Amino acid sequence: MRHVLVAAAAALLLTVSVAGAASADETCQSPYLPKIVGQEDFVYVWTVGMDGVGDGSDKLVTVGANPARDDYGKVVSQTSVGGQHEAHHGGFTDDRRHLWLGGLDDSAIFIFDVASDPANPKLVKRIDDFVEKSGGVVGPHTYYALPGRMLIPALSNADDLGGKTAIVEYNNDGEYVRTTWMPEGAEYGYDARINANLNRMLTSSFTGHANYMRNLGDLMGDAEAMQNFGQTMVVWDFHARKPLQILNVPGAPLEIRWALQPRHDYAFTTTALTSKLWGIFRLEDGSFEAVELADIGDPATTPLPVDISISSDDRFLFVDTFMDGMVRVFDISDPRAPVVVHEKKIGSQVNMVSQSWDGKRVYFTSSLLRNWDQGGEKNEQYIKAYDWDGVALTPRFEIDFLKAKLGRPHLMRFGSIDFYRGRVARGQESSSESGG
Amino acid sequence: MRVRLALAGVAILALGGGPATGEGTPPSFEVPAAGTYELPPITRVGEHQLLDPAGTPGPILGLAENQAALVSFVYAHCPQACPAALAVLQRVDRALAARPTLASRVRMVTVSFDPERDTPEQMGRIARNLAPVSDWRFLTAASNAQIAPVLEDYGQDTQPLRFGDDDPERLRHVLKVFLVDSSRSVRNIYSSGFMTSELLLADLETVLGGG
Repeated sequence: MRHVLVAAAAALLLTVSVAGAASADETCQSPYLPKIVGQEDFVYVWTVGMDGVGDGSDKLVTVGANPARDDYGKVVSQTSVGGQHEAHHGGFTDDRRHLWLGGLDDSAIFIFDVASDPANPKLVKRIDDFVEKSGGVVGPHTYYALPGRMLIPALSNADDLGGKTAIVEYNNDGEYVRTTWMPEGAEYGYDARINANLNRMLTSSFTGHANYMRNLGDLMGDAEAMQNFGQTMVVWDFHARKPLQILNVPGAPLEIRWALQPRHDYAFTTTALTSKLWGIFRLEDGSFEAVELADIGDPATTPLPVDISISSDDRFLFVDTFMDGMVRVFDISDPRAPVVVHEKKIGSQVNMVSQSWDGKRVYFTSSLLRNWDQGGEKNEQYIKAYDWDGVALTPRFEIDFLKAKLGRPHLMRFGSIDFYRGRVARGQESSSESGG
Repeated sequence: MRVRLALAGVAILALGGGPATGEGTPPSFEVPAAGTYELPPITRVGEHQLLDPAGTPGPILGLAENQAALVSFVYAHCPQACPAALAVLQRVDRALAARPTLASRVRMVTVSFDPERDTPEQMGRIARNLAPVSDWRFLTAASNAQIAPVLEDYGQDTQPLRFGDDDPERLRHVLKVFLVDSSRSVRNIYSSGFMTSELLLADLETVLGGG
């Protein structure tokens, strides 16, 4: 019988390297989250309710994603949360047992148990007083696991429904912990991503409730309202929750992805209004600089970059543009000189993109916001799965969310049966997590 | 629900994404100065009775006013995350020895969540090997049934990790260390790979107001 801990403890003041082997999981999760090992069984799709489609309510849809299972490419289960809340983003708790899903309109948060029966997530708690508890924060956006807590950067505030906002924290039981308002000069919010090794958090900036709940065509014709978008990113001392630097990144920088490999102390973002790819690089003195790296499509046509996904080896960055339904794959091997190596039209519109940790599978969904999605025949609503071989995307399956009477699919997160049974392949049991 | 601990073991580290903590790159950053930041209560835990290496029951915390505890959950068969965490805690232990005022207000408690294998005697062996110089206690439970409500209260997840053979001996867990104040409020939670002794000491001093 081995007593590994005893033996290790005997080596006083031992420096232990806690490294990990790469295996399969989505690549854009919190660093505090354990990853699934092996093929994902499900993709959980947080879906925006649509009038006249099914029950019209927001719902969590579970899609089969394992080719070895009979439910591959099929809707496995769906759970309506009742009503339309502008379903948007969500994330797992740090033990991966619960999936938090939020609504941008009324700031409702829904907590699902995904561990007890991964094929049939169960709604176990609902938070309806986020605005009151947080001191007037509106539009909880990103759900980012911390040990025992959830970090929730938001988009707006209750005073004027503008872009001034905050980062809110709850514990895993769904109880409010604290609110950290964005700093003066960089009041807008959107995403927050942590590099725990550097104790640095990056935040980005979008727009307030008054804009994101408005019809996109009307909004883009309102020059004054179009001034009310974020132009900044903030570098934080994460542990102290204190802003250190405000970076000028004009045009609404949205999703942030830190590189995943050791010593890759940089991150990427895209700007929605100016259609640019930006890099945020750590300098020798420990400060950061934001650098405009490349156009995404033709900025003059406002392609509207939305979700991005980085590969676990820091080689590829998938960039979706909503208006033309395109994905462009940048080779980011040289992070200061990214090059488009593949592009493909996914649909008439595309928003979210998620890839497996091994980089072999990529999933796309179509919906951006209820009032920003395109109309008529262009309002395709789908999840589409592809294989990626490093060169091109090959279609595997798709589900029409309108024909299936589900709604507008948005955020995706991966689920696994074996993860909750503790079944893994030997040699892959301890591993670092993906994230970004 | 009865927590199944008898089978066994490996720690799935809570390291992940974002920049992974890869080989040879332990976290390295300048820790903010103690008292310059806030650690609001995250949640509250109860007081629980467990066994010391002599088999004598006693409280996990047992804190006097203005004291704080670092409570860590480990198991002896853990090959990676637990030794890493104990190495960090050992550095805290040694640092406290040089700061007697702060040390008098800090209690370190290491609890096994694998009581069927980690007997009081086994915890005693761990303690002797670590040779603590501060108030560092090593506790276990009489049974899985006794430890289950403790894990539930702290939010420490564990489950048997199976490799497809008939000899599972590891537990999946996200290793966590809890900073608890004298009102039993949890003031911070750390996961292996992202905690340093300097960070723990700064947080203790922040919660205790100096020393």
